[in-house]
Amino acid sequence: MEAIWLYQFRLIVIGDSTVGKSCLIRRFTEGRFAQVSDPTVGVDFFSRLVEIEPGKRIKLQIWDTAGQERFRSITRAYYRNSVGGLLLFDITNRRSFQNVHEWLEEARSHVQPHSIVFLLVGHKCDLEAQRQVSRQEAEKLAAAYGMRYVETSARDAINVERAFTELTRDIFELVKRGDITIQEGWEGVKSGFVPNVVHSSEEVTKSDRRCLC
Amino acid sequence: MSANESPTDPAAEQMVEQASATTPESPTEAPSDVSPDIAPTRKTRRRPEHKPPPADDPSPQEVSESKPESPKASNESAVLQGGWGYWGSWGKSLLSTATATVATVGQGISQVIEKAETTLGIPSPEELSAQAPQEENTDGGTAGAEGEAQDDTAMGGALGMLSSLSSVVQSTGKTVITGSLDALEFIGKKTMDVIAEGDPGFKKTKGLMIRPTTLSQVLREAKEREEQQTSEDLSSDVEKKAHYGMLFDEFQGLAHLEALESLSRESEIKVKSVLTSMSGGELAQLKADLEEVSEPFSLMEFEDDDDDTKEDSDGVEFAKELRDAMSRLQLSVTADKLTQARTNIHDRIADVKSATPVSTTEEDEKDEADEMAVPQHTPEDVHALAISSLAELTAKSIELFHKVAQVVLHNASGNAQISTGDQAKVLAQITIMLCKEISLLSKSFTCCLTTVGSNEKGEVLNPLITGVFLEASNSATYIQDAFQLLRTVLQLAHIQRTADFAQ
Repeated sequence: MEAIWLYQFRLIVIGDSTVGKSCLIRRFTEGRFAQVSDPTVGVDFFSRLVEIEPGKRIKLQIWDTAGQERFRSITRAYYRNSVGGLLLFDITNRRSFQNVHEWLEEARSHVQPHSIVFLLVGHKCDLEAQRQVSRQEAEKLAAAYGMRYVETSARDAINVERAFTELTRDIFELVKRGDITIQEGWEGVKSGFVPNVVHSSEEVTKSDRRCLC
Repeated sequence: MSANESPTDPAAEQMVEQASATTPESPTEAPSDVSPDIAPTRKTRRRPEHKPPPADDPSPQEVSESKPESPKASNESAVLQGGWGYWGSWGKSLLSTATATVATVGQGISQVIEKAETTLGIPSPEELSAQAPQEENTDGGTAGAEGEAQDDTAMGGALGMLSSLSSVVQSTGKTVITGSLDALEFIGKKTMDVIAEGDPGFKKTKGLMIRPTTLSQVLREAKEREEQQTSEDLSSDVEKKAHYGMLFDEFQGLAHLEALESLSRESEIKVKSVLTSMSGGELAQLKADLEEVSEPFSLMEFEDDDDDTKEDSDGVEFAKELRDAMSRLQLSVTADKLTQARTNIHDRIADVKSATPVSTTEEDEKDEADEMAVPQHTPEDVHALAISSLAELTAKSIELFHKVAQVVLHNASGNAQISTGDQAKVLAQITIMLCKEISLLSKSFTCCLTTVGSNEKGEVLNPLITGVFLEASNSATYIQDAFQLLRTVLQLAHIQRTADFAQ
């Protein structure tokens, strides 16, 4: 049953222009790599279900933002209603790595009073020969900001699933612990519908969602 | 008391207007209740006025709830409430006719009113006013009924139906006494509410006409209701059912719509603040300019009765026209996703057609051969495909408008040679094209349905066909409403461009 999910998480994907945000998302949601991709206009929307534990599905609503500066004022408006985010840079483009600070700063200043769980993504890891950012460097930066770091490739489908599911799991844990709560007027986390008729294998879904609301 | 009623009038007028807009299409149609294969819903809704701001337009529920507060009103409604059981019994009969009536909404509101009147068994105004003073003291049943009326959102099913009827009766009784003309209008409107409760699809349309909510709210509610339903009857065979609202969301229509709405709202605020900061000749000039930008939004004409002769089943012509129009906008936004969706839909229709044995149909233009190879499609399949296609095309249309809004606002200083007013005109043309395409699509799907379901009984096939037309009509409405959201966006873009030009 596709429609049944426990929570909906809204994730935002940010990073410099041409680091491969849309390609990564499309690999994740459509399972294929788009060779040619026009620059994103403003914001695009994607969604996919992720099963984090047997019978527990999370609906991810993924907001793909334009990296281009001219759309920045639009994309800024979307931080507030996101619970998590993937911050991408291109491992073959040092500039995009240097801008990671800036992106984080921008996100922090626009997400108030909420906070976003970020995952740092070093994208295009299939292009090892052209690498300009070492893994250690990136890991260090991620650790400094308390983020996980994952290297991905949309072209070769490396770690794409992992990047999204790890972020989803982290958020799910925070929700379970009550560190993140569902709030009226905030779209970051929403509660789904739990079926009245629960299949025996899925009985777990019943217990732990009520207390959080 | 008139203060309570007047806010609902524009809505009622709108409904009458819609009804009259659809009526002329089937003048020869027999007034039978079940004639869904005639297409009352095909006509796109004309919508010249801008929506009134929400504050001026309380929902019908609020109205009916606030009424009993006046002591006079509650006494009068007590007259009607006295026989609660009596009123309860016709509720059922109305319920059963509601769905059938939806099929013939196109025949005009008068019929609905007539039906409501006869079904309700409302006494004449004279009778009522004569009775009222005598029975003023029989207050007993009112309190309970009032409570129920207020609770009626909480209660589902037949009980909710009855309680909303009781509020119809309460307010109706009062209205009849104060003015019988108003009463007629009011009964008609209330009847629509009641009908809508029996038919969630219709409720969406109605919601757009009356409720002070935004379009995305209406669609979101529909989606959530459907998700709730789906999760409730998980055990049954739900995959077969086609839920427009859920599909529309799956195609990201809701997300784009909400984003577009928020851009539109922000733009409106900014335009207003610019206007308040100006005065004198400058203000007059800007107002005139903005008026010009707004014009294409109120002059929309949908003459899709005659144009249907043109054959464009593969959507090639549509794609070309749309591409031309988009290039005239000079916004570097393409409609590729939309035309691609249209092409895919066409392919799917072709699949269904080729899989349908020719022997049972009259039209023999198709190629024969592969009767055994391809699996048979059921009418339910075709219906699900139709609903999904309509939801997809609508979602892509709204996505297109959202893209346009974003680029218009952030490319304002760009190199477009075309004026904002002309862009608005092109967008109005695009809206018409999209609505026509939706209409064409619903026609090919219902054609398909009749072919595929030629062996089915009318009871099976007719609701499916009605469903397709209904959602097609809703789709066209959503597209037009989304187009209206661009008005303030273009106005703001005009202001930005003028400012950039001056620098």
